[in-house]
Amino acid sequence: MRATNTAMTASVDIASTSGTLAGPLMARASSTTRGQPVALAVGLVVVLLVLVVPPLFVLIQSSLLTQADPDHWSLENFAAILGSRRFLATLWYSVQFSAGSAAFALLLGWSAAWLAERTNTPLRSLAYLTAIMSLGTPFILYVSAWLLFFGKAGPINQLYRELTGHVDVLFNIYSMPGMIVVEGFLWSPFAFLLVGATLRNANPDLEEVARVSGASVWQTVKRVTLRQSLPSIMALAMLVFIRTMEAFEVPALVGMPGRLFVLTTDIYSSMAAKSPPDTGGASALSIIMLLLVLVLLYVYGRLSRNAERFVTVTGKNFRARPFDLGRFRYVATALLAMNFILLIVVPIATLIWISLLPFFQPFSIKALSLLTLDNYRNVLASAYVDLAINTLSMSFGAATVATFITLLAAWVVVRRATGGWLIERLTLIPLIFPGLILGLAVMELFLQIPLPLYGTLFVLIWAFVINYLPYSMRYTTSGLLQIHPELEEAATICGASSLTIMRLILAPLIAPALLAGWLFIFLMSSRVLSLAILLAGPRTQPVSVAMYDLWNNGQGTELAALGLMWSALMTAIAMIFYLVTRRFSGGLLGQA
Amino acid sequence: MPNGTCFDHRGSLGSTAFGLALLCAIVTAKAEPSQELIAAAKKEGTVTWYTNLIVEQIVRPLGAAFEKKYGIKMAYWRGDGAELNLKLLGEARARRVQGDIYSIGIGVDSLIKAGVTEPYDPVNAKGFPAEYKDPAHHWIASNIYINTPGYNTSLVQKSEAPRTYEALLDPKWKGKMAWKRNDISGAQGFIGNILSSMGEEKGIAYLRRLSEQNIISVNASARAILDQVMAGEYPIALQIFNNHAEISAKKGAPVDWLPMEPVTVSLNIIGLLRGGPSPNAGKLLIEFMLSKEGQQVFRERDYYPADPEVPAKIPDLLPATGGFKGNVMSPAMIANGLDRWTRLYDELFK
Repeated sequence: MRATNTAMTASVDIASTSGTLAGPLMARASSTTRGQPVALAVGLVVVLLVLVVPPLFVLIQSSLLTQADPDHWSLENFAAILGSRRFLATLWYSVQFSAGSAAFALLLGWSAAWLAERTNTPLRSLAYLTAIMSLGTPFILYVSAWLLFFGKAGPINQLYRELTGHVDVLFNIYSMPGMIVVEGFLWSPFAFLLVGATLRNANPDLEEVARVSGASVWQTVKRVTLRQSLPSIMALAMLVFIRTMEAFEVPALVGMPGRLFVLTTDIYSSMAAKSPPDTGGASALSIIMLLLVLVLLYVYGRLSRNAERFVTVTGKNFRARPFDLGRFRYVATALLAMNFILLIVVPIATLIWISLLPFFQPFSIKALSLLTLDNYRNVLASAYVDLAINTLSMSFGAATVATFITLLAAWVVVRRATGGWLIERLTLIPLIFPGLILGLAVMELFLQIPLPLYGTLFVLIWAFVINYLPYSMRYTTSGLLQIHPELEEAATICGASSLTIMRLILAPLIAPALLAGWLFIFLMSSRVLSLAILLAGPRTQPVSVAMYDLWNNGQGTELAALGLMWSALMTAIAMIFYLVTRRFSGGLLGQA
Repeated sequence: MPNGTCFDHRGSLGSTAFGLALLCAIVTAKAEPSQELIAAAKKEGTVTWYTNLIVEQIVRPLGAAFEKKYGIKMAYWRGDGAELNLKLLGEARARRVQGDIYSIGIGVDSLIKAGVTEPYDPVNAKGFPAEYKDPAHHWIASNIYINTPGYNTSLVQKSEAPRTYEALLDPKWKGKMAWKRNDISGAQGFIGNILSSMGEEKGIAYLRRLSEQNIISVNASARAILDQVMAGEYPIALQIFNNHAEISAKKGAPVDWLPMEPVTVSLNIIGLLRGGPSPNAGKLLIEFMLSKEGQQVFRERDYYPADPEVPAKIPDLLPATGGFKGNVMSPAMIANGLDRWTRLYDELFK
């Protein structure tokens, strides 16, 4: 980042921004921000309570009611889960799966982000393309494309059989490593976007010192860069860990055929088998998850207590000099290309193949004679335009509102203002809601209140804002953690109000993080199904519901065609937004 | 279309024309809802259908045909059994019912119990078999489903494909069969069919032996599992929809289905919702779906019409016309058995 902005071109003083001296500065900052309007904190607490409490209430209530006896409260649902013979075994599988996926997603995401942001690797932008395209592709399609490619009948195992004459498979995707790889792949773009935004703003002074002192690239990364980003990495790891504990789709599509059960597949699928669905058991499981999350939050709180040690954007001038990887930069390009191939080329190529077929077939010369454009014709002849407009308005609204709320919330939290502790916890609570339960809770809420909002897009936006608060909070917090309060202090002294500070100083400075968060929510809300389905009204159906329809009815080939066109549209929108905002914020930051 | 047919015949058949016309008039009168209902429905102007059926395939075509005939617009909300249940129960409890009619596969008993449904006895269903109708008129079948095994014809030779339930126990199929974990088009339906057709004792003994075959549970719709069978991932899928196999085979896919007797026959049912915004348009839409004209739309879209007088597009796929035995699993049977079938699955196959 080339900061030529006059406000930021103070003298370069390495010592004053280094970790050891930031403590006293921080203390000073807290004392000034404490005078900041308490009204903001109170307002945020109210907004968050209104968003988070009703679903939490519904969750607790339904966890205490059983289907057999819906009129009396009991702990039977909890007893059923904890007393199940398989509980400990499946819990152990769950932990393996979640830890493995979180580690794998972070490894992929962090390496790609570091290569893209901090080195001179050729074709770095490939990493951004990978992340955005991958987030724009509907989830079900993604997983089924990988399964088709890596499955028993997929081209790799087929080739292996032909070359070796074995009747068996080279590898079995329906296994714990298979589940971890697929889930890790799915989360890596999220990790990439989050880490990338932090690394871009990271202060290179310490790295510079390390390099001047003769440290190698690897030593610098290990001793400085990784440690600087530790708070965001830990927070991110926790987030992915919790979400994968609750993940249902990959364990169901990849784990179940291999007879690998985790908590969610073991419990949710039994509940879905009842009529009406037994939401009590699912809720009880969520409460157990909540307790687990609280423990993790406590650990995380201790870890990030010293977060100010990692403040990296200050009023001082800084210029991130990319690491020169030397000859290894081509190896780095190869790694990014590999990532692109596995995350994008393989699934997209598989989808293109499927979309051109009248029915599912593995790759073969023989099948070439079947190719047809019928699926595309069918999709174009259908009435998807209304659905697309609904979806785009909904995703745009959800992303914008969530980013706005969490920018304010993160500011209160990071600056340790009154109410920060409560606000942080409130924004993290939605992590524990399974999609169906959150959908149910929001539906009940809008059914009960006398406003004519039930069945409108507003309700969908409301639910998506709740669902994505924790993620959005992650993006804004990790962006703000890097901003030293001295800029705000300077502005306060010059008489700027908090809103002016927010608008003119903070928002532009953390624009990369805000943008990454906005894009993530925009892309996710347009493809997530479990939440949308209950809340959509007869006139507000989103595209994801139509996609689920096609998948369920086995119009997989038509779904592939629709999915590809939809991903292309989403990728295009995301790219334009990304480029425009990047240029805009670049201008504000004085970037070339 | 009965009207059109009558008209043509009157011109060409001379003296018998009057008699035929009279007969037709009687049939038509029976098969047409009253003018009062039509007028009231038109006044309401729109109708909303809460449905489990596939939108692109059947909901839109039915809506288009209905609008063309009566000028009444149809809106829909679509979800699977679980969501449909939660949504209907929630709206009814809050007295903010948005839908006029519903259609559902399983789970109607909880809707009736909660007072979500309103009895209505459609005139167009007079000729339907008794087991296709609720005696209390809360529901009626709009179309039926057949579930039975299907297989990949390049992996399994036609001659060696298992034809009976007993043949599924052959050790050579161990680890080669897949099914959906829940639903009538999955393990629950399979278990229910075995118990009700073989009897408790024999059925349980059979299921115990079957459990040694390591059947693979896949969490996807029966159709998606069949797709994986076609792609070669699994040689055999149990409890798939036989018309799906037929449609794909017509396109050249290496797949076929097996009339394993008795096949599972289940109903997709429709009915009126209590307190909906346009009850008359709702009744009219029910009448339309059950009319010859509406049933034809089901037929054209490769669904099996419930009306015995509207034959399926390929009659060989149905027990009555295809010459194989079927076991009709009524909504009441499913409501009574579902929990037990789930427990048996957990005990034997999980």
